[in-house]
Amino acid sequence: MPNHGPENLSNRNRTAEAFTLTSAFWFAAATSFGLIAAGYLIAPDFMANIEYIHFGRIRPMHVNAVLFGFVTPGLLAAAFYYVPRLLRTRLFSQRLGVFNAVFWNITIAYGMIAISTGHTQAREYAEFPWVVDIMVVVCFVLAVFNILMTVRRRKEPILYVSIWYVCAAVILTSITYCLGNVIWKPDTGALQGIPDAIILWFYGHNIFGLLLTPLALGLAYYVLPIATRSPLYSHTLSLLGFWSLIVVYTHIGAHHLLQVPVPTWLKTISVVDSVAMVIPVMVFLINIWYTVKGKLGEIHSDIGAKFVFTGTIYYFFVNIQGSMMALPYVQRITHFNNWVVGHAHIGVLGFAGLLALGGLYYILPKLTGRPLHSRFLADMQYWLVLIGITGFAIDLTTVGLIQGNAWYNGETVYRILPEIHPYYVLRASLGVLIVIGAYTGLYNVIRTLYFNRGAKS
Amino acid sequence: MKMTPTVIIVGILSLLTAITLVVIYWPYTHRVTAPSEIFRNRSPEEEAGRKIYLANGCVYCHSQSIRAFDWGHGAERIAQAGDYLGDEPIVLGSERTGVDLSQEGGEHPDDWHVAHFMNPRNTRPSSIMPPFEWLGMERLTTLTRYIQSLGLKNADDRMQRQRFFKQHAVRAFEAGPVENVRWLASEIPEGWHQIPNPYPTSEASLQRGHKIYQFFCIGCHGPIGDGMGPAQPWIYPPPLNFTLLKGRKLSGGILYYQIMNGITGTAMPYFKRELESQKIWEVGNYVAVYFINQSDANQEPRGIDSSWEPGFNLKQKSADD
Repeated sequence: MPNHGPENLSNRNRTAEAFTLTSAFWFAAATSFGLIAAGYLIAPDFMANIEYIHFGRIRPMHVNAVLFGFVTPGLLAAAFYYVPRLLRTRLFSQRLGVFNAVFWNITIAYGMIAISTGHTQAREYAEFPWVVDIMVVVCFVLAVFNILMTVRRRKEPILYVSIWYVCAAVILTSITYCLGNVIWKPDTGALQGIPDAIILWFYGHNIFGLLLTPLALGLAYYVLPIATRSPLYSHTLSLLGFWSLIVVYTHIGAHHLLQVPVPTWLKTISVVDSVAMVIPVMVFLINIWYTVKGKLGEIHSDIGAKFVFTGTIYYFFVNIQGSMMALPYVQRITHFNNWVVGHAHIGVLGFAGLLALGGLYYILPKLTGRPLHSRFLADMQYWLVLIGITGFAIDLTTVGLIQGNAWYNGETVYRILPEIHPYYVLRASLGVLIVIGAYTGLYNVIRTLYFNRGAKS
Repeated sequence: MKMTPTVIIVGILSLLTAITLVVIYWPYTHRVTAPSEIFRNRSPEEEAGRKIYLANGCVYCHSQSIRAFDWGHGAERIAQAGDYLGDEPIVLGSERTGVDLSQEGGEHPDDWHVAHFMNPRNTRPSSIMPPFEWLGMERLTTLTRYIQSLGLKNADDRMQRQRFFKQHAVRAFEAGPVENVRWLASEIPEGWHQIPNPYPTSEASLQRGHKIYQFFCIGCHGPIGDGMGPAQPWIYPPPLNFTLLKGRKLSGGILYYQIMNGITGTAMPYFKRELESQKIWEVGNYVAVYFINQSDANQEPRGIDSSWEPGFNLKQKSADD
């Protein structure tokens, strides 16, 4: 079980606060972008001819803001809170941490402006132009430095599993980000031909595999045992889960390219080990679900833990779905359509996003020493986001099956468009719920951090 | 196993290095891809058009990756690694909200693309692509050069065919409606001239034809079939005015053939990928009944009537015997 550091260690953690605010802000911004994009799919003449928010630009803005503005900083906020506590020390440098967060916001904002004005490298998840790429790498390197120096100054000899995951996430992403963005070619940020697809999906897949997932698992390993006052079920499973995740997740990106002329052995590896992803995922889930077994009451009473636990259930679904989608026979139907969009939303919002939100709500009362501004609003956000993402999962999967089966039977893309229109309307409506949830969360976070009139706990 | 900082850092870095060497570096250095038979380099103008394509996120809705089991646009040629040698970045795409564009070059003439970019619903009424009028004519022209190069040497062949027939189409149009209709019919194999529309006109079939007309035809030929749809200002030769066609011996077979096969060189696309036989006959009959005001539906020669057709006339049949 993670140890609570003594209270006198917790001076105000400005770094965690700054990342919390960053995450809450970009959640609201990113979902707004997503809603605009969803609007275009329903009514393409809606906001026609406004260059800067045109569909082809607002969609990558949405994706990048979610990945690098909302989820990553949200999970890092919690990490900057629990890493020092688990190590019984202070964060190496609060000043560096706050600078890191400020620079992070400048980076994302710059990236948004770049994409919105057409300065994009047009590779999914790697759209940011070279200057922004460098800034993103600087952000990660600063986080690596701050965290590793904290590890070095620790007073707790044993490294808890959350620390392993946080270290792996920031260190490995600093590297895969450079590789995936082909950072040694500032002009295009790309290789030529098929190798470009291989390196892009190696990287794209590892944004989930080596950034969001390890950060999210580290958070779950921290929050759930404490919230339920239970010791972690198994150290051996923690080890197995960690190393199998690093081994397996890292090399299966080619399952995005099963229908593309890339070397067959690469496809084979990616298919086989996409199925093997069941190992790290189930090992983690067995470990964490056995830890909280019989303690749903404690989870329910802590809004942070509630988000986190719900996220682990989505982790189960997204993994089963992901392994299945990597089978070539299944992928004939699911590739190129909204099934994949659904999968991405289940993974990034349903799993990593819910965990990030859980992290924010878990640490906020501890950062401020007061209860949340409003538990009601936090619960409301929980249900808005949960209904939204569950609806997304059902709606987008259904549309994907309609599209995939129709195409496979010889219908053309154009013929299916009127048929899927109602599902796009439903999708945007569900998106409204998520957007309202995001703004509710932003309001709650700001009130809790800066205008909280509640009694000090 | 004791997890120290050294174990973690050395462990994850060695794993990442090993994996990167195998799945990235190895295929990159040990796979020499030869250009495919359709490969050629892009011209500077096509390359400039590609930059516009990338900057505006076309890649999020249009794949460039034809698979072995695809049926739609471009499906005649399955993608090969050697097609992509000039692509930096490669834009295979991950979602097909619009059609795959691997082989788009030469599928349509340039004027169709301009009408389509101005507002995609000009030419494709059910399209959900946003308009690109804001790019301005100069950038749209450059972008069109890139689009027309998709498919490389195959696209060049198709463009040559487009340009060749465009000359004929323009000449025929400028010679007036009589000559225009004569030219259009003369390009259709003789057998089709003799075939009347085999299905009888019914209220239901006209309704279905009307629906197909609205999904596919109305953008160019307009709601009253006079060729004044919203795409008309961008297209030359302009869309055919059906109301001039009465008494010009246009059989149902001729209409069917034109809808099925399109008229290369003009903005009239082929619809055989999107519409099956019955839908083509019924939209043809809708045009014949409502706009030409002259339909040969279910006239002789008609063979044995289909089993679903109402109104079996035993007397007429036995008289024929």
